[in-house]
Amino acid sequence: MVEQAESSEVRVRLGGREMSLAITHEQAAAAKALARRIAREPFTRRAWHELAFSLVSGGLAAVALGFVGVTMATGVLLAVTFFGVAILALSLRSARGFGGWTRGLARSLLGETVDDPEPFAARRGFLGWLQSALRDRVAWRAVGYLVLKVPWAVLAGLVGFAFWWDAAVCIAHPFFGGGSVPAFGLPRALVPGGTFDGDGTFTHAVALVIAGFVFLLAAPWLVRAFVSVDRLLVRSLLGPDPVAARLHTLEHARTQTVDASAATLRRIERDLHDGTQAQLVALAMRLGMAKEKLEDPEHADLAQVRALVDEAHRGAKEAIVELRDIARGIHPPALDIGLEGALATLAARSAVPTTVTVDLPARPTPSIEAIAYYCVAELLANVAQHAQASRASVSCAQQGTWLRLVVRDDGRGGAELSTLGSSSSGLVGLTERVRTVDGRLYLTSPTGGPTVVTVDLPLSA
Amino acid sequence: MTREGLRVAIAEDSAILRDGLVQLLVDRGFVITGAVADPDALCSSVAQNPPDVAVIDIRMPPTFTDEGLRLALDLRARCEGMGILLFSQYIETRYAADLLADDAAGIGYLLKDRVADVKDFVEALERVAIGGTALDPEVVTQLLGATRRTDSLSSLTPREREVLSLMAEGRSNAAIAAALVVSEGAVEKHVANIFAKLDLPVSDKDHRRVLAVLRFLDS
Repeated sequence: MVEQAESSEVRVRLGGREMSLAITHEQAAAAKALARRIAREPFTRRAWHELAFSLVSGGLAAVALGFVGVTMATGVLLAVTFFGVAILALSLRSARGFGGWTRGLARSLLGETVDDPEPFAARRGFLGWLQSALRDRVAWRAVGYLVLKVPWAVLAGLVGFAFWWDAAVCIAHPFFGGGSVPAFGLPRALVPGGTFDGDGTFTHAVALVIAGFVFLLAAPWLVRAFVSVDRLLVRSLLGPDPVAARLHTLEHARTQTVDASAATLRRIERDLHDGTQAQLVALAMRLGMAKEKLEDPEHADLAQVRALVDEAHRGAKEAIVELRDIARGIHPPALDIGLEGALATLAARSAVPTTVTVDLPARPTPSIEAIAYYCVAELLANVAQHAQASRASVSCAQQGTWLRLVVRDDGRGGAELSTLGSSSSGLVGLTERVRTVDGRLYLTSPTGGPTVVTVDLPLSA
Repeated sequence: MTREGLRVAIAEDSAILRDGLVQLLVDRGFVITGAVADPDALCSSVAQNPPDVAVIDIRMPPTFTDEGLRLALDLRARCEGMGILLFSQYIETRYAADLLADDAAGIGYLLKDRVADVKDFVEALERVAIGGTALDPEVVTQLLGATRRTDSLSSLTPREREVLSLMAEGRSNAAIAAALVVSEGAVEKHVANIFAKLDLPVSDKDHRRVLAVLRFLDS
């Protein structure tokens, strides 16, 4: 019957029909591993931790619900007085505390890493504190947790813990001389009469011990099933408030955007101050000198006046060029015709010969286009300044909902995020700017090159 | 009124402006003892070759904030009798207050734009060099606008207010008379009226007079 072949064949007669089951070695091995796993499960650390969590968190929740329930009821009954409101607030504060303990239990026993919710932020004064306590979403969610948790803990006790308990009772039973022991929890419904009876016979004792082992093998899985719901409850009700978390993310992003625009404004102001304004002051000064000299035409040294006017004229033209550059820094006119044209313009202006490939089926939003443009401008400027490269390439392509920019050069490499940011608007600033739209910037630059900077931007932001 | 041979040191980080200033002042017969781009360089230039007046840009390296102001306060403590003309693209009234904290003698604070009116600029520089005061009309306007003593100011006639502004800029009676095209005697009468109406201590020195007016406006 058993052949040493690729598979074992098992023939079974069922109601006159013969069926054959072919089992491969892998399947046999898997079945063996499963059996071993099931046999070992009651003795694993995890099973005991889960049992401990189930019991302790259940007990804690029962005490907490009792306390919070009684104090809240008192608070509501006395709500017409100021005192009642204060009791209600204290009750909510304690609910928050119980939530924290449960989170700690889940963390240490289940390895469930739930982030702490935002800390309680009281407003100024006692009335502010009351108001904050009563409107503390974290506390109210903790109350919700307690209300759901307590019935669930009762059920978990009657099923999960009961199997452990009854397993222990059944296995220990024959060694303590038998007698009638009531079953606990779910097994009570399973055994006749709801009790484990021993009449002292050997067969009976063996039967009880076998039943005990069956309970023992089932117990960890039942507890695990209950605990998995516990995990869900803890994560969803005792973790950070999703509304507050979203708000926090948005606030953070907004701060960054505001900072980025403030930095841009500062740069523009600096450019205007150091460049154009100084240029115009010098120009006005020269014209002022020329005017003074011409006030007395008889004695005016025309050659001198001509030199002053010449300088003023040159200064005016330089100021125009500077203003144009600054304006281009605020909004590059090349972007009006699209990213492809703008990048081509940048590449053409670059000191290092640069090729551009753009493959975008549709135009990204203007803000993304602008960021992509500045990234390429800054990166090409870096290539020209630091890389000692002989050529560079820019590619810009759509990848799913992302726009991927890659700027590559064949220079000496060795660039780092910190050192490249030597100018005030360097690579670090660029990373910040990219982050304001949830984009990412990666740099690989081994010594000896090549340097590759990859920027991922969402197509719409 | 040009005094030949007044010695001037310049600290200005913008090369265009620095060169322009040197050209203008040399053309007017001043002697340039040093034209530098940062505070440290000015310190050593002043130590080697002390000028009658230093022209200092407020925003200079390394941080481009108020280096010039701090340099000015430092030089004021160390080099007695040297005039200091702060030169800026913006007017910060607080800077003026810091600078004039105890004395207005030999102090100037002007917008850079003022170099366009060469004659006024040179006069202001000379005034500072010989221990007078030159405050930008913009400073005075800001102080006049910000003062809480509007009741007393409203008792002045329009003419008296003009005189008050020029006085606050640091001009002498003669200069005020020239600017308003009136006689010096008329200016003296206006000044006496102003001092009486604003309840200011009468003083003969121009720069003390400026300080009194500024204290009044700033209070």
